[in-house]
Amino acid sequence: MASFSILVTSSPYSSQNAYSAYRFAQAIVNSSHTLAGVFFYCDGTHNANRLSAFPSDEFNLVQSWAALKTHYQVPLLLCVTAALKRGVINEQDAKELDLDSHNLHAAFDSIGLGEFAMLQGQTDRLVQF
Amino acid sequence: MNSLSSLASNVIRLSAGNCMQYSITYQDKTVETDKLGYLLNVKDWQSELAPILAEQENIKLTENHWEVVNFVRNFYLTFNTSPAMRALVKAMAKEFGPVKGNSRYLFKLFPKGPAKQATKIAGLPKPAKCL
Amino acid sequence: MTDHTLIDFAIVNQSGPLGTANAQESLDMAVAMSNFGKQVSLFFIDDGVYQLVDSIVPDKIGRKAFNKLFAALEFYDIEQLYVCRDSLFQRHLSASQLSVDVKLLPHDQFASTLAKHKSVLVF
Repeated sequence: MASFSILVTSSPYSSQNAYSAYRFAQAIVNSSHTLAGVFFYCDGTHNANRLSAFPSDEFNLVQSWAALKTHYQVPLLLCVTAALKRGVINEQDAKELDLDSHNLHAAFDSIGLGEFAMLQGQTDRLVQF
Repeated sequence: MNSLSSLASNVIRLSAGNCMQYSITYQDKTVETDKLGYLLNVKDWQSELAPILAEQENIKLTENHWEVVNFVRNFYLTFNTSPAMRALVKAMAKEFGPVKGNSRYLFKLFPKGPAKQATKIAGLPKPAKCL
Repeated sequence: MTDHTLIDFAIVNQSGPLGTANAQESLDMAVAMSNFGKQVSLFFIDDGVYQLVDSIVPDKIGRKAFNKLFAALEFYDIEQLYVCRDSLFQRHLSASQLSVDVKLLPHDQFASTLAKHKSVLVF
């Protein structure tokens, strides 16, 4: 039995990596291993954009991440700085920066890289996608 | 050519319309800042601005404050980054020795965080939120 | 649980300095991990070796000159910089063209040095 954390640095849809990360996460939570959290960095922060819309016959990765949190209480965290540069922003930051809208999915938390350092320290293995 | 240049002016108008403007006025000069009072342009800083920025932080600048402010500004101009706490302590220790290169000394001068307050007084950008 | 003989992070840079944000965000990550007390080593392989070339000026093409920070890494306790020797030579570069002191490693030692780290990040 091992504890895992996942780092996602790839965007949804345009690359396969983020889908692989989700499938890997599913495999962990359905095994005897534990998943301490998923951290999104670089283009991976696009995974937290609640304004992503997929055709009904395509896999909705953003919703699926959210469901993973609902069913298995896996924290979904992103680097606030990387996210802000890509237009993924929570309500409070939008207010602070005078931006007219916000789009962070409620299942995700936009926080500091310190949380990533903690995740890495708490788990046996960190896997990047 | 024509359509390209009209596009460019549109972009400028849009961004000006979307952003709130903040500024400091001193000695009949106006300097743009962000909402929290950090200068938007490093080059706008002059030493006369430091006491005004310090006042916003409830800090009265002493010689010791100036030493840190100048140090942080030079660090930024050399390495293009404001030093976070750990790096500031280490770099200060290298320059001024262990008495000044320690976090207790720096926090005494800048109670709300040297990285945050000294950079603001030195006219540097707001440090990244994720640190 | 944790093997304390391992160094916390190896950050592997395989992207060039320009063209993507990988180099900048990799360095952001390295500095952040150091700020939170983690040990960090940097590795440069393939086009990643270009990141260290002295004469690169990102601000001329609208990007931040993030590479100036390489010279300050000693203040962040990031002192292990490993460069794949083969990658460097394939690009007709030598260590004297790099902005900082590095350790040149042949390919097999590059891999064995990586293996001394707990987590590997690739940018």
